[in-house]
Amino acid sequence: MSVLLALLLLLAAASGAVVVLTRDPRAQVFAMAANGLVLTLLFFTLQAPDVALSELAVGTAATPLLFLVTLAVVRVNRSRK
Amino acid sequence: MSVLPWLVAAWLFAIGIYGILTSRNFVHLIGCLGVCQSSTYVLLLSIGYRWGGVVPVFYDHPVGTPAVDAVVQALVLTDIVVGATVDALLLAMVIQVDRKYRELDPQRLRPLMREGQQ
Amino acid sequence: MRLVLAALGCLGLLPAVWKIASALPPFGYPTGPYGPAVNRLGPSLRHVANMISAVNFDFRGLDTLGEELMLVAAVTGAVLLLRGIRGQDLGARPATAGRPLVQRAESTVLISRLLGPVALLFGYYMAMHGMTTPGGGFQGGVALASGLLLLYMGEGYRPWRRLMRSPILAAAEGGGALVFALAGFLPMVEGKAFMENVLPLGTIRDVFSGGLMLIENGGVGLAVAGGFAMLFLEFLEETRALDDEEPG
Repeated sequence: MSVLLALLLLLAAASGAVVVLTRDPRAQVFAMAANGLVLTLLFFTLQAPDVALSELAVGTAATPLLFLVTLAVVRVNRSRK
Repeated sequence: MSVLPWLVAAWLFAIGIYGILTSRNFVHLIGCLGVCQSSTYVLLLSIGYRWGGVVPVFYDHPVGTPAVDAVVQALVLTDIVVGATVDALLLAMVIQVDRKYRELDPQRLRPLMREGQQ
Repeated sequence: MRLVLAALGCLGLLPAVWKIASALPPFGYPTGPYGPAVNRLGPSLRHVANMISAVNFDFRGLDTLGEELMLVAAVTGAVLLLRGIRGQDLGARPATAGRPLVQRAESTVLISRLLGPVALLFGYYMAMHGMTTPGGGFQGGVALASGLLLLYMGEGYRPWRRLMRSPILAAAEGGGALVFALAGFLPMVEGKAFMENVLPLGTIRDVFSGGLMLIENGGVGLAVAGGFAMLFLEFLEETRALDDEEPG
């Protein structure tokens, strides 16, 4: 249990760093979804299934989608003129 | 092990700030802000964790079983959902900025840049 | 230059961070008295099994009302910004023209059609069982909105747009927040405290336990689902070609 927690904490730290260091926004969206998944597992292990469920729905689905759509909007607007 | 969660939270916050400082794209910057935000989740949930504690939902366990802290979980839970809508608000602002200036690099956007100027 | 300054600042803060980290109670041995008190007294006082929901909707209900209003404000702001750019008002007819039909892989359509209703059902289930098992209005609302998105991927834009009317979503969002606020203020009419329970509490581990909390939970679910669906709708609307423009 303790080993699993430590591992997930370190994984969360690493995936957060990946999100920041991925400079291309489109690649970053996928890093963000992965980070959301790691955080979901971490919260489950921390005995917080409620929080994990909301992180799963928000962090791996809703937020990445909003980012992707924003990038698409920017691209559409740029190509228009 | 006993200080690892606090250090992870501090690391996430610091790397998020670093990303915000060096970001060259507003969309990327909002992603870094999300990393900063997640550091608070890690910190709060770790503070409430209890070795051997069960989930604070007394459906399977009898009332009185040692459980982890429910208050911090309630805090984090609402913040995750509300944080996503705030992200959406920021992204809407990004779309607005891009439409006006055709530029998303915070280091090339000057606060008083006139419309149409590069 | 900025980076050097930031690095210097971080170096300066490093000892403080270490001091705080070692001064905090060791991980796994919480010292706060509030959480254990809630866990000990909550089930018998409020007749619900899920203490997180009890904290959200009863013990700290006022905070949740604030969060709820923040959510509504953020969604309203985002929608206003996006609609303002397009010059559209709320009653505008949903424009179905001007969007090229995007080819989707058949497997995408199949999976979305299969999973869309399942996701909707699961979101509803999660929102309804917030008092007994992990879940509740917040998570269930987001899951419901994600299910609506899967419908979009399965059915394509036009049928989806015909289904998703902004006034309905806006009513769900604002109405849900209103239900929550009313659930807080109505007990005051009877001379009781803010958000004091006036309904029968029911029995613990029953789906319909918790009294007033159930109503607040439903209000939050409606508001979150409506708000997220509205955000998805407005952001996706942005990718549509303008009306006076050739699609493409």
